[in-house]
Amino acid sequence: MQESNVDAHLFHLKVVSVNGVFYDGKCRAVVLPCIDGEMAFLAHHEEMFLAIYDGQIRIQKEDGSWIEAIVSLGSAQYANNRCTIFVDTCELPEEIDKRRATEALELAQEHLRQEQSIREHQMSQAAMARALTRLKYSTSKNINLD
Amino acid sequence: MANIKEIKDRIKSVEDTMKITNAMYMISSNKLRKAKKVLEQTEPFFFGLQALISRVARHVPPDTHNIFLETFEDIPEERKRRAYLVITDDKGMAGAYNHNVIKLAEQQIKENGGTYKLYVVGEIGRQYFTSRGMEIDEAFRYTAQHPTLSRARHITGAILDDYFNREVEEVYVIYTRVKNSVVSETLIQKLLPLEIIQKSRMEEEKMSALGVYNEEFLMEPSPEAILDNIVPNYIDGFIYGALVESFCAVQNSRMMAMDTANKNAQSMIHDLSVLFNRERQAKITQEITEVVSGAKALKRSQETLQKMQT
Repeated sequence: MQESNVDAHLFHLKVVSVNGVFYDGKCRAVVLPCIDGEMAFLAHHEEMFLAIYDGQIRIQKEDGSWIEAIVSLGSAQYANNRCTIFVDTCELPEEIDKRRATEALELAQEHLRQEQSIREHQMSQAAMARALTRLKYSTSKNINLD
Repeated sequence: MANIKEIKDRIKSVEDTMKITNAMYMISSNKLRKAKKVLEQTEPFFFGLQALISRVARHVPPDTHNIFLETFEDIPEERKRRAYLVITDDKGMAGAYNHNVIKLAEQQIKENGGTYKLYVVGEIGRQYFTSRGMEIDEAFRYTAQHPTLSRARHITGAILDDYFNREVEEVYVIYTRVKNSVVSETLIQKLLPLEIIQKSRMEEEKMSALGVYNEEFLMEPSPEAILDNIVPNYIDGFIYGALVESFCAVQNSRMMAMDTANKNAQSMIHDLSVLFNRERQAKITQEITEVVSGAKALKRSQETLQKMQT
């Protein structure tokens, strides 16, 4: 009886990025970055599709502990108490190379300052957004630029 | 008849070439192994996203306006502007790999008619199409080496940009896939407009005509935003997959080509060493004959000398 009680708060989550499956298993909650803030899924959520933007995703595992990761553009689907998330990239904060992200940011800023076509402008903006998110949530202290 | 020194030099040069082909074989096999690993990792993303797109397509409200839902059916076939992403390699020495890709591209352009736009990855294809006087997108310069996600993203950006600006109505990818370790096949795949979207929308129409219940999905922030997010993601993934598959295929073809080169070199060395041995034997025989005949001549002259004395 108690077991079914516990199960009622769990749902299946799968997070897939281009580089492979990031998370596949039961979880309690997942918080996703949307265009206008964050959105959390709990078990038995209404069936829906959700567009995800650059930002942080938080997963509460079965035992209550949290995993944090940084994702870029993607989409999520919630159906039949299963949540499937597809994102371009998904990284743990400690995986992020701060120096590389900083370099990418500087490069994007430099590009933005120059005259560009609309496409190049959009791509630089997207690159800058990616770099900023990665820098914001990265925890690697190994390289300190200031 | 070649002399011994010439044959020796020849064997040496074949051996040197063999060293190069052998090294290229090993480099290719190493690269192939790495690329295959990358390819395996992308598979769950790719197939999962495909399923998700068809599901989204089934559930988008009929009044949604999005460029990815358009089919351009009102434009006659011969007036459609088509873009082709042709993936070749940066260098040859890979058997018929580049040739097959280029042949398929030319054939498709001819069959489909209409106007075309070429995006070419790889130096070989670029040189070929330029020398044939076919117009290629000059700003589109990407190498086939080391397929990375960011390069796929750039390529997707370039293609989608033309699609959004309505400069092209259809986009195709021509790439090569490894069927098994011996056979690779060159494929053409329609990328845009997405066929899975059309297929699932048609199925949905049939189902709803039959009165089958379709569960409702909430779409946040809007169906358009979801399509705008998911379709470029899919195309990104597809192009990345195609780049990696082609990279695998080229390494595979190069391995086979180098293997054949190694075998040819070995048989050449074998033939040459037979020739060399024969030459050497002939030389030795000749020398012995000369020594023997010299000795004989000496003996004979001594005998005549003795005879004369007696």
